Amino acid sequence: MVTILGKEVPNQLTELTVQQFEEVTTIHANQELDAIEKHIDVFALLGVPEADWEDVSIEEFKQCVKEFNDISGKPELQSSFEHMNYTYTAFDEKFKLTVRDTKHIEKVMHSRHKGYISEMLAILFKRTDLTKTEHYTDAHIKLKAKIIRELKAELAVPYLVEIGLKLSKEMPKDEPAQVVE
Amino acid sequence: MNLPKSWSEIDVLQFKEIRELYAIEEVFTREIEILAALADIPSDDLEDLDISEVSDMLKDITFINSEPSKNYKHVIGEYHYKPLNTLTVGEFIDLEHYFSVDYNQHVGHIASIIYRKVMTNDWGETVWEPYEFKPSLRCSLFDEVCINDVYGILPEYLAYRESFMSTYANLFTDEDGSDEDEDERPATSDEAKEIALRKSEKKWGWERLIYSLCNEDLTKFNEVTNLSLIMTFNMLGMKKELNV
Repeated sequence: MVTILGKEVPNQLTELTVQQFEEVTTIHANQELDAIEKHIDVFALLGVPEADWEDVSIEEFKQCVKEFNDISGKPELQSSFEHMNYTYTAFDEKFKLTVRDTKHIEKVMHSRHKGYISEMLAILFKRTDLTKTEHYTDAHIKLKAKIIRELKAELAVPYLVEIGLKLSKEMPKDEPAQVVE
Repeated sequence: MNLPKSWSEIDVLQFKEIRELYAIEEVFTREIEILAALADIPSDDLEDLDISEVSDMLKDITFINSEPSKNYKHVIGEYHYKPLNTLTVGEFIDLEHYFSVDYNQHVGHIASIIYRKVMTNDWGETVWEPYEFKPSLRCSLFDEVCINDVYGILPEYLAYRESFMSTYANLFTDEDGSDEDEDERPATSDEAKEIALRKSEKKWGWERLIYSLCNEDLTKFNEVTNLSLIMTFNMLGMKKELNV
């Protein structure tokens, strides 16, 4: 936690929920906002109202941003998590991104809807008592995503990094077939 | 897995299958489906593999992102390439139809019109098989032909068509000089009727032309569709210019 204008603000991946992390990501991806507006919106999301910044100097504001961005530790890939006596597993020994998971992830990424990070994780984490068919049903993915949104961002970020690296290395570039014009 | 290395190993049927898969918007999913189609296996067989295991296979099929050869063959079995400047009105109308829908899916139909049987008459001249067959009944003859052998007729026809349309531009424009039906919004019911009439005229454009060339005598339909395209349009151009 970091104290900003007298308020305790979560900033570490062990403190932010996946849902908060998704919302922060959405704010930063909004191209209609400038850098200062983005930071103000993030602080507002995490508990510092926009009105509190009215009498704050730009130097103080910059210091707050710097403190907020001071993130420690590098979380590792967690192979599984427990929820309501069920185990959700992403891999056993070594993380493998299968063709099937990638197709589902690509579909989620393509839709770019709010909450796509938790849905990507919902594709990777499979409830151990269910079958392959059940893992990928829309309703089950939505339910898992809802559960994952309440977990800490330290679960999500290593997977985002790993998926990003694998996709940039292995994915074909979008080069549509040349067509006769 | 036995994968083709270039278009020279792909036939017309596979080409159509691949081009159909280009409708899939997601890049990875599309490439996996194409890979499965080229390997002739269900895509489910690839789904448990790690993406690093399929990435080399995907690199092997990058040729699919290029065009097949444009150097088409002039003779395929007993069928010979019929030069485009010998097209008849009927052949042109049918080609226009196949090009206005997805022409990649109609390569066989298009080839059926452009590749024809020939014979030599008593005077040593080439006589083309008359256009008295349905392309839909003949198109499968080209299914197993290498796509490189016929693909070039597509760009060639498009280039010919562009030149043809430009030459006879005055016959393809409305009285007000426009050649496109824009998204018009009628302000009054009369305008709505007018727009509906124009759309109807456009829909039945070729039929109206033939009906007019037949002098409204439908028994002459085949005679008209067998007329030389260029000669017919030259005459139509003359009629329009001289207002006769």
